[in-house]
This record gives sequence, structure tokens and C-alpha cells, in this order.
Amino acid sequence: MEIFSGILSGFQIVLQPLNFLYCFVGVFIGTLIGVLPGIGPIGAMSILLPTTFGLSPVSSIIMLAGIYYGAQYGGSTTSILVNIPGETSSIVTCLDGYQMARKGRAGPALGIAAFGSLIGGTISVIILMFLVFTLAQAALKFGPPEYFSLICLSMIISSYLARGSFVKAIIMILVGLIFGCVGLDLVSGMPRFTFGCSSLLDGIGVVQIAMGLFGISEVLMNLEESLDRTIFKAKVKNLLPDREDWKRSIGPIIRGSLLGFLLGILPGGGAVIASFISYSIEKRLSKHPEEFGQGAIEGVAGPETANNAGAGGAFVPLLALGIPSNVVMALLMGALIIHGVPPGATLISQHPQIFWGVIASMYIGNFMLVLLNLPLIGLWVKLLKVPYRILMPLILLFCLIGSYSINNNIVDVIIMIIFGIVGYILKKFDYEAAPLMLAFILGPLLEKSFRQSLIMSDGKFSIFFIRPISAAALSIGVLVLVTTGFSYYRKAKTKFILE
Amino acid sequence: MKKYHMIVIIFWIGLSLFVTIFSYKLRLGSFHNPGPGLMPFIIGIFLLIISFYLLIRSLFERGIEDKTVHKEQRQTNFVKIGLVLVSLLAYAILLETLGYLIVTLLFFILLFRSMGNRWTTVWVASVLTVLLTYFVFTFFGVKFPAGILRLR
Repeated sequence: MEIFSGILSGFQIVLQPLNFLYCFVGVFIGTLIGVLPGIGPIGAMSILLPTTFGLSPVSSIIMLAGIYYGAQYGGSTTSILVNIPGETSSIVTCLDGYQMARKGRAGPALGIAAFGSLIGGTISVIILMFLVFTLAQAALKFGPPEYFSLICLSMIISSYLARGSFVKAIIMILVGLIFGCVGLDLVSGMPRFTFGCSSLLDGIGVVQIAMGLFGISEVLMNLEESLDRTIFKAKVKNLLPDREDWKRSIGPIIRGSLLGFLLGILPGGGAVIASFISYSIEKRLSKHPEEFGQGAIEGVAGPETANNAGAGGAFVPLLALGIPSNVVMALLMGALIIHGVPPGATLISQHPQIFWGVIASMYIGNFMLVLLNLPLIGLWVKLLKVPYRILMPLILLFCLIGSYSINNNIVDVIIMIIFGIVGYILKKFDYEAAPLMLAFILGPLLEKSFRQSLIMSDGKFSIFFIRPISAAALSIGVLVLVTTGFSYYRKAKTKFILE
Repeated sequence: MKKYHMIVIIFWIGLSLFVTIFSYKLRLGSFHNPGPGLMPFIIGIFLLIISFYLLIRSLFERGIEDKTVHKEQRQTNFVKIGLVLVSLLAYAILLETLGYLIVTLLFFILLFRSMGNRWTTVWVASVLTVLLTYFVFTFFGVKFPAGILRLR
């Protein structure tokens, strides 16, 4: 019964005019950045983070979350109409979505993507609500050793699932942890790695590092290639899928919802992987697999549902345990901390208005998104045509103002620019910035739980292996490390023999 | 490209050495009572091991693919990237002395023009965005430095 009264109070919170407005602003910006080239949800959220400092914590989290799941909708529009994925999670949608558009079926493709996203999003919020509630109850019993092991596991899995090399991802994690150490030590109050710079005493700011790594460096990367797009000329009509379309899509949508949610929980890029796996499953299950790649509606419905459901699933570890599973969640966690709200198991009991407000806002936001995306599709198509040469200086200015306005301090701006350069160089050498950012946010929590555990056990490392949950998490982590190491070894061996 | 990868690996080794030495000086404490340097020390050691692994692997690895982009393309890119970086830094340095309105206008004129827009577009877009962003951000409570435009 607690859940029902909780969700009712959540709706009461979202339906307050101001929160309703911020929910709308969030999903609107989300769709916008999904459509626009050269900026993703991470960049947009870090730019907008400083403007949310003045809001209540509920409003700001509602808005930031809206940007995240809103971007999943906008991303599909560009995939279908321009054959350029707006977000990584809508790469697969290009395969069949663009082919549908070329055959004059852009309308149903956009329609099924929006309805699939709505269904996937809603189903995942429902599961999320029940799962987080139960998980958080259990997590209340977790102590420092459990947290330490779960954070280790989450970092190992996210580097395992990283797009590039595993070793490089691990290096990024370690570098992120080092950046997380900058500032005053939590226990002794000793300054670490500050080099006499007073702006660094509080540590490197979340906003500066995120803007640099995901805003500025993205712009620098994009300067190297022309982002001019050829937009599909035909008029978009008949947005509503017909009976036949629905018949073919309903299976993929339901499968996509469940699959997306489950994979979304995994640390790393849950929504991205979910969309790829959903596509291959639908292709395998289909009665006419030859149509895939030629404009099969299942190839749009499944992945588009899965990425939205995955976006919902990604909230589970953050809301239940306070351990973000990807960079977007890490930014949300940063926002919660800035507002003085400790994320994690105590969130539901101590700040129920935030927890239930955000959950309820996701139900409402998903409906807003369908209304925004289907009738207003013409507006987004127009915005697709905004050239990058106009957009680029604007993105840069938003980063500059955003980082300056936090403390009205020029040093913050310079730190952000430095991280922009660092991010650019890392990308040039195929190092991903996402694990770095995740580790940077998790670092202080990891260190705290590590030190507390050692004090608890009087310096015995066995504490991590005696307690069942901690032991299980660590053994899964070790297993992942060993299997990856083994496959590296085998690859190297075959290469050696071949040579 | 292999040469550049080597530089990155050597940079990681340098970074890890620096972190371990620096955190050693911070006081490691003991496992009973961990000091402020313990965690960064452990991280530094891990980073050192992994970068050595990368070093050894790349020393023994032959026939690495050459991913170098065409030289011509690279040079033009560096000009653009350099321009953006210089204008970002100049913005940061000049913001408080010249004030938001002037610096932002200059910033936009420079960037819009260098991205290959026509002069009319450059002026209209720059002036409009400066005014628009000023009012929107002031509405959100951001306080901009007035610089030399401050009324005395």
C-alpha cells in the first residue's frame, strides 16, 4: 500500500504548476538536443546543471531526468529522417528507420518509435518503482564493505561493456579515481593534489569536468568533420501506424521493454546495448528476416522501445543504492549531492518527495514526449536544418557561462577548458571519457567505504570476503577480470602462432 | 601513430609515478587506520602496473595498423581547433575586465566568421545571441561581470 500512497503523492508533486513546467522544459530540451547535432544529453545536462542550483531539488532532478529520457526520443527522429543517429542508443534505428523513410513510410516509422518509446518507458517506470522500493529496503542493511564491493563491481562491468578496449577503460577508471582524490581529504582534512590552488580545495567541480569532457571536447572533435546533413525531403505524413504495423510491432515492443529494462540496470551503456540486442533478437524471431535492413518496422519498434526502457532501468542502481550506472546517472547524483540530498537507500525514507516526484514525472514526461514528438514533428524537422556553424559557437558559450556562473570564478572556466583539451586528446587516442567521469563521481564514495571497512575490521581485508553480498560482488568482478584476461591471452597467442 | 601511442603510455607511467610518490608523502597510515595517501597510492600502483602492461604489449606488437589521417586534412583542422581554444581562453581571461556584453560579442563575431558564415549573418546572429543570452541568463539569476560598461 505504501507504493500506492507514494505514487499518488508523487503525482501531486508533479502536477504542481512549477514542477509540471520543469518536467516539460526537461523533455523539450531532451528532444531538442536529441535532434541537434554535436551535443548529447551529457553535455546538455552539465550545461544546465548550474541553472538548477536555484530550483528546489525535486524540480531540478525532474528536469534533468527529463532531458535524459527525452533525448532518446529526439535521437530516433534524426536516425529515421537523416540516417544520422542523434544519440548512440538510436544507431540501430538508422538501419530500418531510414529505409522506411526512403520508401515513403517516415510517418509510421516515427509514430511507432514514439509509441514504442511511450510503452517501453511506462513499463520500465512501473517495474522501476516496485524494484527500487524493495531493493532500497534491502540496501538499508548494507554497510561500507558492501558498498565498496558493489562500486568495484560496477566499475569493472562498465569497463567490460565499454565500446573500446578493456585495458584503456580500466586506465580511464583509475585516472578518474585520481581526479576524484583532488581536494581536502574527507577524514584528516589534508589537501591532496591541490598544488596550492584554493579553487581546488573543494575538489574538481562535477560541472567543469563534465562540460569539458563532453561539451568542449565534442565540439573540438566535430570541427574535424563536416556535420552538414542531407535531410530527407519528402513530407512526413500519416504518423499513426496502421493495424498491420501494430500487429507486427507489438511483440517487439513488449520484448524490447523487458529486455531494455533488465540491460539498463547494468553499469555502462545499458540503453545502447539493449537497442542492439533487441534488433538482433527481432531479426532472429522474425518470419521474414530478409526484410531487416530494407525497412522492417520491427527493426524500429524493438530497439526504440528497448532504449527508452533501458533509460528507465538505469535509474535503479542510483535510486536504490546511490551507485550511478552511467555518466548521466552520475551527473544526476552530482546534482542531488549539490542540493544536499544523499542519494541511495535512504532517499525513499528521508526525501520521499524527490523519489516519488521523479517517478511520477517519468509517467507524465513520457506522455508529454509523445505529444511533443508526433504533432510537432514539423518543428523538429526544421530544427534539424540548423547548421552546425551556427550551433557550435552557441554550445561553447553555454559551456563558458555555465562554468563561470557556478562560483563567478574564472579559474572554474579555465579548469573546464583544460578538461576540454584533455577529453579531446583522449578521444584522439581512443580512450573513452565515460568511465573516467563515472569513476570521478564514485571515487569519494569508494574511498570512504574502503577506509570505513578497514577501520571496522581493524585492518583485515577479510571483511570484504566474509560478508555474503560483498563476497558475491567481488567474485563476479574477479570472474569478469579473469575471463577478459584469458581471452586477451588467447588472442595474443593465436596472433603469435600466426606470425 | 604508434609513436604517439607510446607517448601516451609513457605519460600514464609518469602520472602513476607522480601519484604514488605524492601520496606516499601524504602519509599512507596503516590498514588499521588508513591515512589520506593510502587510496591514491593504491590507485597509482594499479595504474603503474597496467601502463607497464601496455608498454610491454606495444613493444612486442608488430604490424600495428596505421590510422593516421591525411596530412592535408590534419593541418587545416589544427588551425580551427587552435582558434577555438585560443578564443575560449581569451574569453575566460577577458570576461571580467571587458564585461559580458563586449567579450561575448567579439567571441561570436570571431567564431561565426571563422566557421564560414557571411558577414551579414555574422553580425545579425552575434548581436541577437548576445542580447538574448544576456536576458535569458540574467532571468535565471546568473550575474555577469559588467566590466568597462559598468556605470560609475
